[in-house]
Amino acid sequence: MMSTAPQARSAGLRYVFPVLAGKLARFATRLRGGGSAFPGYLTNRLAPSLLPTLADQFRYGVVFVLGSNGKTTTTHMVSEVLRAHGLRVFTNPTGANLPQGVTSALLADATLTGRIKADVAVLEIDEGYAADLADRLSPSVILSLNVQVDQLYRFYETERVADMMLDASTRASAHVVVNRDDPYLSKIDVDAMRAPVSFFGVAPEIIAASAHGLVNAADTRSGNAGTAERDAYSEVRSVNGREVSIRIGEVDAAVRLPARGLHYAADAAAALAVASRVLGDEFSTDAAAQGFSRMAPAYGRGEVIPLRRDPAGEQVEFVMFKNAPSLQMNLDALDGAPERALMAIDEGTPDVSWLYDVDFHALESVDVVTGEKAYQLALALEHAGVRIGTVEPDMGKAVAMMRELPQIAAGRQIWFVNYELMMIGRRLLGHGDQEVARR
Amino acid sequence: MTATVRIAQLYPEILGVTGDRGNVRALQVRLERAGATVEVLPVGIGEELPADLDVLVIGNGPLSAMRGVHADLMARGDGIRSHVADGRALLAVGAGAELLSKGVTTLEGETVEGLGIFDATVARTKKRKVGYIVVETAVGRVIGFEDHASEWTLSDAAGSYGRVAFGQGGFALPDAGDQPARGEIIRVANAIAANIQGPMLPLNPELVREIITGVAARRDLELDLTIGVESLDTYAAGARAAIETLVHGKGFNSIQL
Ligand SMILES: [Zn+2]
Repeated sequence: MMSTAPQARSAGLRYVFPVLAGKLARFATRLRGGGSAFPGYLTNRLAPSLLPTLADQFRYGVVFVLGSNGKTTTTHMVSEVLRAHGLRVFTNPTGANLPQGVTSALLADATLTGRIKADVAVLEIDEGYAADLADRLSPSVILSLNVQVDQLYRFYETERVADMMLDASTRASAHVVVNRDDPYLSKIDVDAMRAPVSFFGVAPEIIAASAHGLVNAADTRSGNAGTAERDAYSEVRSVNGREVSIRIGEVDAAVRLPARGLHYAADAAAALAVASRVLGDEFSTDAAAQGFSRMAPAYGRGEVIPLRRDPAGEQVEFVMFKNAPSLQMNLDALDGAPERALMAIDEGTPDVSWLYDVDFHALESVDVVTGEKAYQLALALEHAGVRIGTVEPDMGKAVAMMRELPQIAAGRQIWFVNYELMMIGRRLLGHGDQEVARR
Repeated sequence: MTATVRIAQLYPEILGVTGDRGNVRALQVRLERAGATVEVLPVGIGEELPADLDVLVIGNGPLSAMRGVHADLMARGDGIRSHVADGRALLAVGAGAELLSKGVTTLEGETVEGLGIFDATVARTKKRKVGYIVVETAVGRVIGFEDHASEWTLSDAAGSYGRVAFGQGGFALPDAGDQPARGEIIRVANAIAANIQGPMLPLNPELVREIITGVAARRDLELDLTIGVESLDTYAAGARAAIETLVHGKGFNSIQL
């Protein structure tokens, strides 16, 4: 079932100038601080065929990871499982999931003659650009995690997002992997795909026992709001905190998730399905479990950082959300109401109407509500009956307040943050490195 | 005296993707704090609306959801028309508001028939209007977030309930001097249609008070709307001030797509 490795296509001297120009631009933008899409843009202009040439060189092909939620975590999971099987994995930094960002990332790893030293590429890709990038990178495997209500100001309608994923999937040459428990994705037209389709999922009784299920979007167009019945190639069979058991093909894999939550268990089932399809007979559940055990949580997704720079002192667990489904899944995964919590949203999340679609029962109180949208957030929490300590829009002052509160017995507090304030919060706690390599 | 105020939300599962429950919640919380007993009824396709309903809320969703509820909603036409004619409250946002217009023309040129509660037609547009919006109304500035690709045309500009002070709004108003003017929010008796999210009611306590006052007057209820609302009002004021500061700040425009 392994895709045949293509021969490296005429990489060579003609790429020296474009690659060098791109690398220099990359170096220059780094000096100015931070990443930029410009190097990728420059190289694409100078040598449009470089991108397909780079992509052609991965012996095990290129994997695309799409989805409303969980792209970063799942890309990380697939990468670690493949590494545990001895593969050299190329992956894009989180957030660099638009065409220029992907190009820039590939460029950083390419030699001057346009060669890349990795066996497989695992790329998180923004849904909006998936089909376009598939035409240039010829992915062997395309994974679609879920279709959830997300960034309507950008995507307009959830079904459009489903169509972006399903349309991109027609371009996979070896395997399509989709979520059986997603109303839109479960209805994939298998016959319209070039490649065979594998489904992943969570056992129905586990979903039923969860407070709000998997929070995938209802299908409003087919007349059947729910899912179509499909057999799962990879299925979550039991969940016990972070320990989960996943049936993959005929065998069970016991894996430890990087963070709590049913959404992470579903992501793990997806990652195992992809790894198994990429590796074929070489796939081993032991190696897969090892890959998971080595996984550190991705930035802000269950990551734990000392509150007062004392590694033995009180800790902060970062829980990042970007929309109602991701916040709901993280709230549902809580092990009781947090004794101490901070919650933060800024203008990086333009419309926060969806806060009122979240069930906040899992929270009793939030000590400090912060970010540019602190008052909008506090208003939503007040309507939901959550007690609020202080509203302080300035994140720096909010962090100082959290540090001044007496230490709690649990030794760990939770900060619920959107992406931008997760990065700022980490920096304020002394973890100022940019989120770059996913290693 | 305890009185039960009944609020129904139509099709909350599919016309309720932009926090529309928050509008219901704002009415419920403020009514309860004013001493009323509140019953909130989610009403889906094929389910009956109670006869003694005080407030009907219809929220936002995709075009496919509008088509999905269309037959069911059309069958409720007489009931909803008499609800409005009785002076009962109605709040419709986004797709829900469009379904209560005279009809919606899609980008493909199809027409989705509406109930005609509001004397306006809607055309879906290629251009999308996204960002904060501030509207001058009879109850002060209504503030929220607009996110729609539609242009309303009113038969009579007198149906407009608000003039856009910042943002793009739903429809054109007669020019003010040589300045083109934009309008947002349509009102007929105690029925309100808007494209304002946020959701609209939590962010706009005066609008909630206006709706609740109408309910209380029709039902002859005595409600004290000033009790127990200090934190709600404080947070709403904070949110409104932050948005006003942003939209009047340098360089802030609508969201760039
Ligand atoms: Zn609940």
